[in-house]
Amino acid sequence: MSCKVGIPRALLYYKYFPMWKAFLEKLGAEIIVSENTNQKLILQGASLVVSDTCLPVKVFIGHVLSLSDKCDKLLIPVVRSTSEKVYNCSRFLALPDLARAVVPGVPPILEIEFDYSRGKSYLYRQIYSLGKNFTINPFKIKAAALYAWETHQRYHEITAQQHLTRLEAIDLIHNGKSITIKETKNDGLTIGIAGHPYVLHDEQVSHNLIKRLKAAGVNILTPEMAPEAPDSNGNGHTQFAGLAKNYWESEEDVVGAGDWYTRIKVDGIIGIMAFACGPDSMMMSLVQRQAHSANIPFMSLTVEEHTAEAGIVTRIEAFLDMIHRARRRNEQCV
Amino acid sequence: MRITFPHIGNAYIAVKAMLDPLGVDYVVPPKCNKRTLSLATKYSPEGVCIPFKLNLGNMIEAVELGADHILNVTGHGTCRMGYYFKVQEQILRDMGYDVTMMLTGLSEHKLRGFLNLLRSVSNNAPWSKIISSFTFGIAKMTALDDMEILANNMRAFEIKKGTITPIYRKSLRAIDDASDYRALKDAVKEYGEEMSGVEVIPDYKPLKILVVGEIYVVLDPFANMDVEMELGKLGVVTKRSLYLSRWVKKGLFFNPMGIDQWRDVHKAAMPYLKRDIGGDGWETVGEKVISTGHYDGMVHLAPFTCMPEGTAQCIMPSTKEDLPVLAIYCDEQTSKAGMITRLEAFTDMIAMKKAGCLSQ
Ligand code: SF4
Ligand code: SF4
Repeated sequence: MSCKVGIPRALLYYKYFPMWKAFLEKLGAEIIVSENTNQKLILQGASLVVSDTCLPVKVFIGHVLSLSDKCDKLLIPVVRSTSEKVYNCSRFLALPDLARAVVPGVPPILEIEFDYSRGKSYLYRQIYSLGKNFTINPFKIKAAALYAWETHQRYHEITAQQHLTRLEAIDLIHNGKSITIKETKNDGLTIGIAGHPYVLHDEQVSHNLIKRLKAAGVNILTPEMAPEAPDSNGNGHTQFAGLAKNYWESEEDVVGAGDWYTRIKVDGIIGIMAFACGPDSMMMSLVQRQAHSANIPFMSLTVEEHTAEAGIVTRIEAFLDMIHRARRRNEQCV
Repeated sequence: MRITFPHIGNAYIAVKAMLDPLGVDYVVPPKCNKRTLSLATKYSPEGVCIPFKLNLGNMIEAVELGADHILNVTGHGTCRMGYYFKVQEQILRDMGYDVTMMLTGLSEHKLRGFLNLLRSVSNNAPWSKIISSFTFGIAKMTALDDMEILANNMRAFEIKKGTITPIYRKSLRAIDDASDYRALKDAVKEYGEEMSGVEVIPDYKPLKILVVGEIYVVLDPFANMDVEMELGKLGVVTKRSLYLSRWVKKGLFFNPMGIDQWRDVHKAAMPYLKRDIGGDGWETVGEKVISTGHYDGMVHLAPFTCMPEGTAQCIMPSTKEDLPVLAIYCDEQTSKAGMITRLEAFTDMIAMKKAGCLSQ
């Protein structure tokens, strides 16, 4: 019988799921992804950690809990760093230990660490140590790793090239679902959303921000659609021209995206952040300042487990109204 | 060029001692007070941690006094602290202040970086002078820590409550005023003896509490609402996981030689937390494990929304070592009265636990 590996639909899922799935399935594992986030799951997760934990980690713990009796093992990699001197947020580094400490009855955790600063051989050792749970054949592990890497790159390419959101791209890769681009009435507004994929694309957490904007006829841009510019190491990275040298891995979704939106002069920027997010508490204010000096309307939305949907809806409407009004005023002036 | 630097507990006294012999023009920000805090809260981004806010408050008040260069630290993988400067600089600029941040990367450049920084503020004074000023600063830092350790030890024993604290305050002033090693030694001796000579409760067996947590709030009595003094008033002896002089000596000297200065603590944390998570979270978990059996309880100081300390707080209840832990959030919202009530309840609880163990 194949080993059932659980993957929580939270945090790094949005960035790496296609890669992990490709790797594990090549090695014969059966993948179980937790259900979509729902309010009950959020509250259960929140009840297990201290209250000033950021919402996404509460959500993550909720997902781990919901998987704990459904799988033999849980995959919780630790991504410390994927480029030089850029590290992930502190909370990512403790996920396996946190899950073990707070989730009752958690199955054994497959944890591997990605750390750019430790070099390639460390990476390879980590991959083998993960693969060894499924096969003793090193060639099979290597083949699976290569396949996983290809999948990962394809995932990134199609999100950027076809302007897909992460969820759409995951759907496309795994279910072959092609995207029907619904021709909604489009009044030409383009709004860039800065925020982490696990906030933005988790419909429960973001209160369907993307769908709501699309329904209002707005073109949206999300961080993963940013064209990648190679950095000095040849890795693809969103450019950080002028704003800030990247400091946190995860903040590319905020500062990197914010920078891109200002350069291409979108009509408005929405920054969505989770309550108690450490990095965002600082980075979002940089994006706000940048938008401000480029004269681009900016709205920040902070979500937590008790955020009322109605409040979000009203704020989005007010923001769009404001942009429209400003636009009309400008047109009259010309 | 007029320099300023954040307070961080008594650290500013040591920094002054390093700058004085170099003839640097500087202003010490006013001691943290209500105004500092309200300025800080007003101009800081929402949701940022308290060390950021108080640092910014210090900067604003120092800039008002004419400072235009700010000494600050940066670093990689050191949590939000490593990036403070960037956001603080923007905020000050937006407020209309033209300031320059002078940075040293603590995690990369260590001692050398710090000495270079001293050199650049001193208009390239000769190295011998830089090193002697630095050493004198460290000597003051050590003296400050010695006094603090003594005060936090003695306070629990004093018969007449409130005797130690004024002596301790005087000692700080004397150390600050000392202009050479001799004066420094005299100050330490004089006030050390005065504190040790205070009338004490005979045969008193106080509770012992270890104070741990994020470095800034552990070091800064304003940020932690004088938690050690308050515990002392309750008749408790406190020790900290962290004293600046030791931290600097270990961090700046051993670490560059490839020695993990916290090896024991990290090893102890391993079964529960396998890696460094930035800030001081790893050490916090390790301290709990190591200190069980040696202390009666632990007070964990965590800035509100602090990522590493929050993680530590989640993980600690799962350790099999069962040292009682009281978590205290440090934030502009926390009330001192509320904290004192919790300290009382906590010390009562551990006293009962201890008595229960003794009668078995
Ligand atoms: S980046 Fe923010 S939201 Fe993401 S894990 Fe860290 S604190 Fe939480
Ligand atoms: S360790 Fe905590 S208090 Fe220090 S910078 Fe990080 S989040 Fe802020």
